[in-house]
Amino acid sequence: MLIVVILPLFAGILMPMLPFRTRKAMLVYLETVVSINSLLVLLLLLYMPEGTLTLFRFTGNLSVTFRLDGMGAVFAGMAAVLWPLAMLYSFEYMKHEDNEGSFFLFYVVTYGVTMGIALAENILTMYFFFEMLSLVTLPLVLHTRTREAILAARSYLYYMLGGAAFAFIGMVFILVYGTTSSFVAGGVLNMAGIGEKSDMLLLIYVLCFCGFSVKTAMWPFSSWLPKAGVAPTPVTALLHAVAVVNTGAFATMRVTYFSFGTELLRGTWAQKVVMVPVIFTIVYGCSRAVKETHLKRRLAWSTISNLSYILFGVVLMTPLGLVGAMAHMLFHSFMKICSFFCVGAVIYQTSKHYVQEIDGFGWRMPKIFCCFTVSAFALMGVPGLCGFVSKWNLAKAAVDSEMPLAYVGIAALMVSALLTAIYMMDIVIRAFCPVKGSDAVDDKNVKDANWKMWVPLAVFVAVMFYFGLHSGPVMELLEGMIY
Amino acid sequence: MQGLLLISIGLPAVAGILLLVLAFSEHLRAVGGTGVKHMRLYLFVSVMLVASVLLATTAAWTGDNSVVLFRLIESIPVYFRVDEVGRFFITIVSVIWLAVGLYSVPYMKHEGGEKRYYGFFLLSYGVLTGFVYAGNLITMYLFYELITLVSMPLVLHNGTREAVTAARKYLFYSLCGAYGGLFGIFFLYRYCGSLDFMMGGTLDAAAVRGHEGILLMVVFVMLMGFGVKAGMLPFHAWLPAAHSVAPSPASAMLSAVIVKAGVIAIVRVVFYVIGTDFLRGTWVQYLWMTLALLTVFMGSMLAYRERGFKKRLAYSTVSQVSYILYGLSLLTSEAMAGALFHVAAHGLIKCGLFLTAGVFLYRFGYTRVEELEGLGKEMPKVMWCYTLFALGLVGIPPTCGFISKWYLAQGSLHSEIPVFSWLGPVVLLVSALLTAGYLLPITIKGFFPGEEKSRENRKVHSGEEVCQGKEIASSMLIPLLVLAVLVLVLGIFPITLFK
Amino acid sequence: MDFVCNFPFISIILSLFSGPLCSILPGKWAKRVNGIVIIVVGILSAFVLAYVTGTGEAFIYRMGHFPAPWGNEIRIGVLEAFMGLFFCVIMLLCMVAGVREREAQIEESKQNLYYVMVNLLLCSLLALIYTNDLFTAYVFVEINTISACGLIMIRQNGRTIEAATRYMIMSLLGSGLLLLGICFLYDLTGHLLMSNIKEQVHILAQTGQYHIPLMVSVGLISVGLAMKSALYPFHAWLPDAYGYSTLSSAAILSSLVSKGYIFLLIKVFYRVVGFEILTGSKVANVLFVFGIVGMIMGSINAIQEEQITRMIAYSSVAQIGYIYMGIGLATQEGMVASIYHVISHGATKSLLFVAASGLAAASAGRTSRELVGSGYRNKLAGIAFTVGSLSMVGMPMFSGFISKLFFAQAAVGHAHKMLPTFIALAISTVLNAAYFMKMVICIYSPRYGGDTTGENTIVGRVVFMKEQPVKSVALICFIVLNVVLGLNSEPIIRLIQKGLAMFG
Repeated sequence: MLIVVILPLFAGILMPMLPFRTRKAMLVYLETVVSINSLLVLLLLLYMPEGTLTLFRFTGNLSVTFRLDGMGAVFAGMAAVLWPLAMLYSFEYMKHEDNEGSFFLFYVVTYGVTMGIALAENILTMYFFFEMLSLVTLPLVLHTRTREAILAARSYLYYMLGGAAFAFIGMVFILVYGTTSSFVAGGVLNMAGIGEKSDMLLLIYVLCFCGFSVKTAMWPFSSWLPKAGVAPTPVTALLHAVAVVNTGAFATMRVTYFSFGTELLRGTWAQKVVMVPVIFTIVYGCSRAVKETHLKRRLAWSTISNLSYILFGVVLMTPLGLVGAMAHMLFHSFMKICSFFCVGAVIYQTSKHYVQEIDGFGWRMPKIFCCFTVSAFALMGVPGLCGFVSKWNLAKAAVDSEMPLAYVGIAALMVSALLTAIYMMDIVIRAFCPVKGSDAVDDKNVKDANWKMWVPLAVFVAVMFYFGLHSGPVMELLEGMIY
Repeated sequence: MQGLLLISIGLPAVAGILLLVLAFSEHLRAVGGTGVKHMRLYLFVSVMLVASVLLATTAAWTGDNSVVLFRLIESIPVYFRVDEVGRFFITIVSVIWLAVGLYSVPYMKHEGGEKRYYGFFLLSYGVLTGFVYAGNLITMYLFYELITLVSMPLVLHNGTREAVTAARKYLFYSLCGAYGGLFGIFFLYRYCGSLDFMMGGTLDAAAVRGHEGILLMVVFVMLMGFGVKAGMLPFHAWLPAAHSVAPSPASAMLSAVIVKAGVIAIVRVVFYVIGTDFLRGTWVQYLWMTLALLTVFMGSMLAYRERGFKKRLAYSTVSQVSYILYGLSLLTSEAMAGALFHVAAHGLIKCGLFLTAGVFLYRFGYTRVEELEGLGKEMPKVMWCYTLFALGLVGIPPTCGFISKWYLAQGSLHSEIPVFSWLGPVVLLVSALLTAGYLLPITIKGFFPGEEKSRENRKVHSGEEVCQGKEIASSMLIPLLVLAVLVLVLGIFPITLFK
Repeated sequence: MDFVCNFPFISIILSLFSGPLCSILPGKWAKRVNGIVIIVVGILSAFVLAYVTGTGEAFIYRMGHFPAPWGNEIRIGVLEAFMGLFFCVIMLLCMVAGVREREAQIEESKQNLYYVMVNLLLCSLLALIYTNDLFTAYVFVEINTISACGLIMIRQNGRTIEAATRYMIMSLLGSGLLLLGICFLYDLTGHLLMSNIKEQVHILAQTGQYHIPLMVSVGLISVGLAMKSALYPFHAWLPDAYGYSTLSSAAILSSLVSKGYIFLLIKVFYRVVGFEILTGSKVANVLFVFGIVGMIMGSINAIQEEQITRMIAYSSVAQIGYIYMGIGLATQEGMVASIYHVISHGATKSLLFVAASGLAAASAGRTSRELVGSGYRNKLAGIAFTVGSLSMVGMPMFSGFISKLFFAQAAVGHAHKMLPTFIALAISTVLNAAYFMKMVICIYSPRYGGDTTGENTIVGRVVFMKEQPVKSVALICFIVLNVVLGLNSEPIIRLIQKGLAMFG
């Protein structure tokens, strides 16, 4: 279990020390490392080893400990599938960029850190890797080293560390008042020790939730994500649509369901307080996406909205809500990474960054844009694709919770679906049905991307269809892990 | 028999996708002239269309079939079942599709992009089949969304800025409606025994108790949502825009069939899932009726004011579809029968009207009402067909429009709902007058233009090669004649449909 | 009494007399003697530590074996011994790292003087740590002040003289207040020896007599020492003093001198006033409030600062705020956290100063504009600076995280101070990140703000590790120290707890 965390870390750190004669040797090395690691992860998931593994102790009962449980397995499995594919994609994409070495170094290291979060057994371990993640992804944001990138990296860092600071408060609270620091379904708080201070506890929860949700870019902490879009597309796609932001969601799940415990929180003012910004973000992110014309930033806003779907599931504080949230986390990863890679391919092939520049590209790059269309449909929640399944589960959970605020949340989901349709279909329509007479239509230089780019995309599309049409097993898995 | 059901959905869909792929590869290779392949294309499309129509109708009339395709989510199968409404609707769809398919051959040759057009044409047939055979709400919703997505390319077919804007408007309005419907489905899932369609509804009384208020609200949202597609009042703006810029055969399909998808969806929700008992006498019913009547009236008024021919027809659709909605909102079986009959009647009539509009557009490039003066002399057959359709829409016996309106009015008067029972027929009557007012003058001016318009002034727009001196190509005329005959036959022997 | 018991006294005397010795030796020899003295003292302290840990209780060493109240006592527990060791290690590393700068920046003739001052400083620090006598403490506080002044001033430019003057004034003010406090206590209790005073204070507290004078004297001592250790409103002398003096001075001053006073204050609280009385008084609250204000204001000042050393100096103000906040919590856990932070901050801040000087050496100057890209030119210093910054920000794996964790844990459950502590910690973390990470990003960006016009062409040269072996070794030691403190804090925490128990 330890290996899957350590291997990418070391492989990454070793990288500058190994003498690669050609670019190819380096790429082979990287892909091998990542694939082996993914295989190991999948093996782990197959055997689901029991027991825990302590790496070292900070002090007293605070240790860095790993354990694989259902939720972690889902997250780890997701990352394990996505990473090698994203790696393949970035080999092609990064050809155009400088400093490949340092890029891949941190890209691989991030894999290890993400695994660390997935396998974390207690809140301290999670916090530890959570902070590490902010750090190792910083150079990736900074990659191009332009003024824009530096400013983006700064705001990224401030938000991340600020969030961590608030999350820290919650963590300390759990360390002191919890019966144990491990994650136990249903919460670990020692009620006898809290006594009269439940209001204080709720306040701490709210702070902690906000802290972790900075990483999921919940409003009002959302502005870092679109800015971080200056990073190369593989980074924006894998990290800022999937890995990093999902760790935030994952952490809120852990804290809400496994540390504080939903019994305590359900129906309190704290639940309402956190639910309001979540619902607002769902709509806000989408409406900003509609307004945005920069392709990657538009998707970034869309991510913000979709991540709040996940958070919405989390703050429903019912097992069903958690199932919905996990499902959306899983499915959204595939949808969003697919759409990001498509956009990345467009940028790579044509250096066009804005929506109004892609008129008619659909006919020149059919593979890419077909994949994009599928992901757009999935994000809109067309039945038959995975987006619908998770949306359905979220809404079902919300209806079952019988909270008026949750009903508002469902309405927000619908409004956001409509807005999603607007900003995604806008691109699709432009690409396939350019207004007559626009000059971009017959630009012969625009070519479809090569196999390294579209193979991952095809896999994502297949996965979206698979989960959309046959969600039974995966949903059972998710439910099994909750109950 | 189960396989038949699936094939009837799958065949046109697969064929359509195939055509689209072809269109794509063609574009990539940038092949210029496609003239040589036309025959093969038509052969393919016609064989596919006839085959699917045969399949679909046999599936429909060989008894109650049902099949579970697979499970979308454990508790929600994609489930198809043939029932009366489906049987009825698929027949209309098939007739219209055959007519339009024939009509499209010369028309689309002129417009270009045929592969794309026929691709989506077949695809929408498959999706519509799936839609009417859907056995539960989720399956229906799935196909409902797909209808929007596959019919949208038909709207933006000619790719002008106007068309693209209209297509977007169509897409977003429709999706907005669909999401309203989905919102309701989430709740119904909680409060209904199952989402399967069953006459009389599946509402779980125990679960509903105490939540009536929220459920009514939800039903209202669903009605409004599906009403978007049917062009009900606050959300009708997309309809004139989209229907007028699409190629005429596509407008015919949209206006005659696609808008009815909203109607069918409402029928399914109100009569088959929630049940009429729950709604009767609630504020939802009254509000629904009010909106429907308002739409009937406003649609006619707007049509009356409109000078663009196709746009006028589109506004007329807004008004006519709300006849149906009004019929449904009465929640009685008599009115419902009238409403469903109007689905058929309006479908045939409006299809015919748009096809005639297409003829004028195709031959002379005329789009505005004034330009049609004096055309009766040059195109008498077409003009006579038009007149018949117009009379049908106004509701003059012996056309089928009369029958449906009769039943609607009857249903309204028997419904014993205060005010509305008499207000409804009055509004219907006024609207019929308006309909006469905006449709019949075209006939009159067509045959009796005030001053003689010389033939030399007309410039033939297109289609010279297929018409060869005749009034119009026979492949365009035959569908018109068939539709006209059907309108009359249904008007004289309505019993066949009332079974 | 074991022979080891003589060691503390020996080390004080050794460092005291090596001072004058240095003044007559030639420069090079002075340096060596100084180094040897520090090492020897360190080794002695290590022995003492081992001994005390072995016996498990503090011992008292009477100079000349005269019993109190005539004799002078030093008292050594685990904590004192450990502090002695720790101070020696840091001082040695600072001295080693700053060799080159010292030689470049200090006039040849004054080199000896510098070592005299350092030796005196070491002597006074040791005495502050070990002493069991309030008046002795005062005496060495003064010696400490004077030698610190010398360290600041020895690099002669206008700024340092001004800084030294400021430092002198503030420090003497502090000393004065301290002296007043001691006088009051003496007046109240009739003793100068800590143990005796405590007995008397206990009686006074029980009878309720002289409550106000007692509180006043506690307050005076606290404020006096706070002033000397640059608690927020009294920090004006600090940025200049740290920012412009030579490297080893800055590092030593920031990581040791102010910490010596803090240690003395904690010792006073435990050994003189008694913890219960402190908890009951309002002095702790005052310290708490000023600590929090310091945490935030120090960081805000640091954000506005362009020059790297001054920035680090302001950050010290913030960190001292942390320590006073911990003391102000007036709980056992708070004290543990504070003492841990004394250690962790000592290790980190000197690391930062050394790394900053390394970066500056590879650039044209010390402002952030000039430091752009220096992380590439001097790789080790860049890494070291990053490590230090992360530790300051409180990243897990580094020492800063542990102290933050302990502060927060100490605050949990405190009736009134929990929320303020939490919020202050969170805000100050963000602020710390704001300036430290900005600097880190800056030293790792190739151009200033993507300016490609060439106007801001970077002047600087590449500095290799081999060029400065000693400094590199020192830096590596610092990094290792930091990581060890961050990953393996358990023994130290236990040691601190044991030491505090021995205070009582």
